Amino acid sequence: MGVMEKMDELTSSGAREYLTFRLDQEEYGIDILKVQEIRGYERPTRVANAPNFIKGVVNLRGTIVPIVDMRLKFNCSKAEYSSFTVVIILNLRSRIVGIVVDSVSDVMELPPESLKPAPDIDSVIDSGAVLGLGSIGERMLILLDIERLMSASDMGLIGASE
Amino acid sequence: MAETHQDSGGGDFDLTQFYQIFFEEAGENLDLMETMLLNLNLETADDEELNGIFRCAHSVKGGAATFGFADVAELTHQMESLLDRLRRHELQPNSAMVDVLLESADASRSLLARHQAGGEGVALPTSDLVRRISELAAGGGGAAAVAKPVAKTAASVQTARVPLKEGVRSLEIRIGPLEHPEQADAIRELFRDIPGLGEIVVMPSDRKDLRIFDVKTVSSNADLLDLFAFHVSRDFIAIKEIEEAEVVVGPGTQAVSSNFADDPQPGAPLAAFPGFGFFDGSPGAPVTAVSAVGAGVDAKVAAKAAPKAGAAGPAAQPEAATIRVAISKVDQLINLVGELVITQAMLAQNSRALDPALYQQLLTGLADLDRNTRDLQESVMSIRMIPMSIVFSRFPRMLRDLASKLGKKVDFVTQGEATELDKGLVEKITDPLTHLVRNSCDHGVEMPAERLAAGKSETGTITLSASHQGGSIVIEVRDDGRGMSREKILSKARERGIDVSDQMSDADVWQLIFAPGFSTAAVVTDVSGRGVGMDVVKRNIAALNGTVEIDSAEGYGMKVSVRLPLTLAIMDGMSVGAGDEVYILPLSSVVESFQVKADAVSTVGQGAQLIKVRDEYMPVIELEKVFQIPRGNSQKSSDIMVVVEADGSRVALLVDELLGQQQVVVKNLESNYRKVPNVSGATILGDGKVALILDTGALVRRSRH
Repeated sequence: MGVMEKMDELTSSGAREYLTFRLDQEEYGIDILKVQEIRGYERPTRVANAPNFIKGVVNLRGTIVPIVDMRLKFNCSKAEYSSFTVVIILNLRSRIVGIVVDSVSDVMELPPESLKPAPDIDSVIDSGAVLGLGSIGERMLILLDIERLMSASDMGLIGASE
Repeated sequence: MAETHQDSGGGDFDLTQFYQIFFEEAGENLDLMETMLLNLNLETADDEELNGIFRCAHSVKGGAATFGFADVAELTHQMESLLDRLRRHELQPNSAMVDVLLESADASRSLLARHQAGGEGVALPTSDLVRRISELAAGGGGAAAVAKPVAKTAASVQTARVPLKEGVRSLEIRIGPLEHPEQADAIRELFRDIPGLGEIVVMPSDRKDLRIFDVKTVSSNADLLDLFAFHVSRDFIAIKEIEEAEVVVGPGTQAVSSNFADDPQPGAPLAAFPGFGFFDGSPGAPVTAVSAVGAGVDAKVAAKAAPKAGAAGPAAQPEAATIRVAISKVDQLINLVGELVITQAMLAQNSRALDPALYQQLLTGLADLDRNTRDLQESVMSIRMIPMSIVFSRFPRMLRDLASKLGKKVDFVTQGEATELDKGLVEKITDPLTHLVRNSCDHGVEMPAERLAAGKSETGTITLSASHQGGSIVIEVRDDGRGMSREKILSKARERGIDVSDQMSDADVWQLIFAPGFSTAAVVTDVSGRGVGMDVVKRNIAALNGTVEIDSAEGYGMKVSVRLPLTLAIMDGMSVGAGDEVYILPLSSVVESFQVKADAVSTVGQGAQLIKVRDEYMPVIELEKVFQIPRGNSQKSSDIMVVVEADGSRVALLVDELLGQQQVVVKNLESNYRKVPNVSGATILGDGKVALILDTGALVRRSRH
């Protein structure tokens, strides 16, 4: 089997690339196609009456973009802001959202068969937003349906009228 | 004679400015109509499509009537009548109708091009088209369908049949043999792009590498050759004059006349451009050139060519003075400049510590950069913003004509012309506003005698006002006419099969007039009364995320308020500080500000705070509490009151400090986030930070509860 055929098979079998990032000790992956860019953290403008994990809004080249701190959303023990703190700018349908993570690790390709369904667990993450669990050697990768997660009503990112 | 119109645009320079807008709009509408007609499926044409085509014709007609282009208005009026019957399903669309409508669209385009060129040249006769449309509208169709074998060439056949006016020559132009015959097609575009050049029709050719065109023009052969030379080498062009009123049918004319092509006349180009004056005094100067041309071309034609070219100067100016650019490109520019300003601010910040003696050149450069960036930002911002007066000034003339046509007396009052509005919004609200003003004049204001009988002054008043209000721009069209009759609307609605009841609230009843095709006017005129107006108004304004409200009292008048969001509108803002945060207040709602002592505030019922400003008590709103602003250990405390007014009420906002006034570009918070209470939008400050813009209307309402 030639290399090209192998490639074809991989793509047709739906192997996808994921951007992985760390929150505290956990490692997460999101569809790379949803990622617009990665930036350093800058202090957002606070927005009143927003949940604590919405840090506020920033100016992204003239567009007002809300910033969600995933560490606060996922109840991490600590959420510090330093010059190494990273914001992943996501492009979800027509909306742009920034998420704060501890660090970005890698971009990796995972074939669907290497994904294991997540067992029913009690978690702060809506189980529907977990696509599955992947493994990279010894480490466990939690793959998120970031679009679903961000558009959930408890995120408070989208108005009730929409 | 065409020459008499030569400087018709010169005396009224302002109006030509609006002509330009109209020509652009009309062109877009005609293009859109053509696309929709071409996509129209005759068997399954749905209401939406037919309404869409109808609206295009209606818009063109409205504009043409406004600017006094009677020929275009007449033609589009006929088209509209036919389309109106189609969309009411009184007639079944057939291909003959589509053909004639397409032809009419072409004819309208050519008529408009002629007007755009300042009325030069010869108007395309439309009587035949008008007759055919009315035949079709009357339910006929057979005869008209036979009259045109091929839709594409029909226009030429029809124009050829009528005697050509003086000065217009009918030419057969052969181009080829060419390796790439497509090159010749560019010549057709010349005729489309250059107003007043004439008409061109593709004739069938017997050879693949040869193109034959039938051209009607007043330009001289040499002019044409000069123009064509941009696309095709002169050696391949042959121009032959055809007898007037002769209809050229099919291929066959073998004799390729090379007389004109091989005989470039030295004087002719000069005659075409007498304004340059490069060769004044040299042999073959313009005056002599005209007669020199006579050697090869009919002298009459050359004489025509000269004034035509003279008119091309002024006509070309408005075209050259503006370019149409996609709004998205301008937006991109604005965003990029925003980034540049931030980068520049950062550089300025970092260079502050440098020793001026050592880095003099660098610092000078940075100072230049600072100034240039600011100028650039201002220029870029100003691209999009235009004052409402641009829109408003379209109306006095239109109303005057309209009122005299209807035999009414109307005063026109405008307010808030200086309110600046995003160009995109201005373009889009012009049409709805035209409809509203027209409606007010046609249906609202009564005849003088009727007004006197009702105890009103003979002259009605139509007021157009614009203002920033509660995070929106509100444009109102008011008249003191007869208002709307609840009963009439209800009975009309029943007639049209709309489910209504007598118990409906007034507001609901007024909303009925937004239904497509709804009109209470007894007679359909070319002014209004087809009921298309309000339908279009609502649709256009909804597309801008705006709302339309109607208020009316029978016998006293009517008010239509169009409320548009501030998206990208520039606003004068006052920045205020509270804690470490900065908020923007719309300057238009700020009345005054002053420092207060702690004991000046009194409370009512242990809660609501009031402050007495001169003789008035007004509620106090603490910004710190409304926005839950965290207090660090800073010494700051709120002791500045800013009195703001909205919806006719005043409140005093308690803030820490006043930071200054600036123009801000209002950004939409909701495009990526959601609505935030008491906030109308956001803006980007000079340092790149986001600041929220307070919704004073919401704050005032909040104080009432």
